[in-house]
Amino acid sequence: MTASATPCFATEGLTKRFPRVTALDDLTVAAGTGVTGLVGANGAGKSTLIKILLGLLPPTSGRASVLGLDTATQGLEIRRVVGYMPEHDCLPPDISATEFVVHMAQMSGLPRTAARERAADTLRHVGLDEERYRPMGGYSTGMRQRVKLAQALVHDPRLVFLDEPTNGLDPQGRDDMLALIRRVGTEFGISVLVTSHLLGELERVCDHVIVIDGGRLLRSSAIREFTRAEQTIAVEVEEGQQRLAERLTAGGETVAAQGRLLTVQVSADDPGRTYDAVRDAVCDLGLSLLRLEQRRGRIEDVFKEPVA
Amino acid sequence: MTTEPTAVIHDIGYRHYDGVQLGRGRGTLALGVQSLRGVFGLGRTVRAKIMPLLLAAIMLMPTVVSIGVMALAKQFVMPYPNYAVFMQAVIAVFLAAQSPYLVAPDLRFRVLPLYLSRPLTVTDYVLAKLTALAVAVFGLLAVPLTIEFVGELLVDLPGPPHTADYLGALGGAVLHAVLLSSVGIALASFTPRRGLGVASVIAFYMFTAAVSGIFAGVLISSGRDDVAGWALLLNPFFLVDYVQSALFGTEPVNTEMAPPGIASCLILLAVVVLAVTGVLLRYRKAAS
Repeated sequence: MTASATPCFATEGLTKRFPRVTALDDLTVAAGTGVTGLVGANGAGKSTLIKILLGLLPPTSGRASVLGLDTATQGLEIRRVVGYMPEHDCLPPDISATEFVVHMAQMSGLPRTAARERAADTLRHVGLDEERYRPMGGYSTGMRQRVKLAQALVHDPRLVFLDEPTNGLDPQGRDDMLALIRRVGTEFGISVLVTSHLLGELERVCDHVIVIDGGRLLRSSAIREFTRAEQTIAVEVEEGQQRLAERLTAGGETVAAQGRLLTVQVSADDPGRTYDAVRDAVCDLGLSLLRLEQRRGRIEDVFKEPVA
Repeated sequence: MTTEPTAVIHDIGYRHYDGVQLGRGRGTLALGVQSLRGVFGLGRTVRAKIMPLLLAAIMLMPTVVSIGVMALAKQFVMPYPNYAVFMQAVIAVFLAAQSPYLVAPDLRFRVLPLYLSRPLTVTDYVLAKLTALAVAVFGLLAVPLTIEFVGELLVDLPGPPHTADYLGALGGAVLHAVLLSSVGIALASFTPRRGLGVASVIAFYMFTAAVSGIFAGVLISSGRDDVAGWALLLNPFFLVDYVQSALFGTEPVNTEMAPPGIASCLILLAVVVLAVTGVLLRYRKAAS
């Protein structure tokens, strides 16, 4: 792909003040290729940042660049090579997904035949089959989100901005959308900036996470660093939770009970030991194992840490 | 359904697009063409086709009658330059029915941000929509005029054909197209609701037509014929009629009380500039 030396986007002292509110406050951050998560509560300035990066909103002060292009002067060039999936609904109900995505591809400068091919390809990749010929007014939220994603990808951008793509989806739809985003970032080779106010879901798909709050940068680092600190496994058994906890504690593990779950701290120097201990203990005590899953440190913890 | 598969679909994974990516001019053109097709209901549902095609058919009726009269009675009945004024109600209904279609859905369903996240500016978007409606209105007037002119040539009436009148009327059709499309889009773009847009455009036409008629009537009855023409300028169709007369030398419908040609031209220009500026400001605001 492209040179990894140019960051996907970078900002320098970026500030945006609206008459009533400061959306971004001296934000300096950069992200490389791959999937980058932008996390913040509602109103943290995520959508404002995306609008500035698209070159649609001039910042009050500071600079920003996307793929090495200046947002203040090269907005048109930026918008040729990026895709944007807005947070809000943006689909006219009386036309079909195919027509809509073809039209949007043409707006990106694709000739009509190429637009048709790309639209069919992209809709297939996001998982829309026969229903793509039906008017979009009858679509479920999951299908609508897929069309919105397809229109952002149809011109094969180098970078896509996805604003709250999992909004309004049920747990299954959420998982599907996250898997799709992961595919876009890896298999499709398109860099992704994805925003969410739910921190937990981003850690599953992102390589890098940026956390902003009130327009300020809280933290920006690779996902490994977020989750390295604390590795735990969660164990749930049908009966005998108490016995299992005692047995593991006796074996030198750090165990805590959380309702019906036992969380076991994974030994930092010898992770295998902890897994073996849990397996052996469950086996020896003859317990029915209901759940055994890896738990990484949650990005939520970032908010609990004092800001450096 | 065959029992033996003759072909197998392979998932070849994601393919990058390495074809051409045209400039924003072509994107704007594509938007304009799509909008123009949509105005006449092409590429839309059957219901959306009824109104524009019905109105287009009504626009052709006087032409058919006129050609018939020319062929049978060897008489020229309908002067080209007066055609638009004669058919103004039909054109106004067309404008009211179709201009909200061009702008309201994009505002209502918030499609606009998708256009603007592409290499297309607010000005490109507005230009494409204005041009689409202008071409539609021009076509609505020019096609019947042209058919009638061809009919006149074929019937071969005694005396020279009314070529100058025909060309003047075509010029007038351009003026109508520019004025009506900018006013129509300006009125329709202020509301994201299509019904409200239709109502506001038709109300604008009825209001201006009624007010200009009443004023002109009152002024004439009180003996102020010299200023009655100014009152008629309130009606966009009479305004264009006077400008057409000033620019192309055609005979206006209301001959006796025409205001100075230059004034009509300036008023027309001012209205168009005002409307287009209004639309641009409206969209600048909607975009941010």
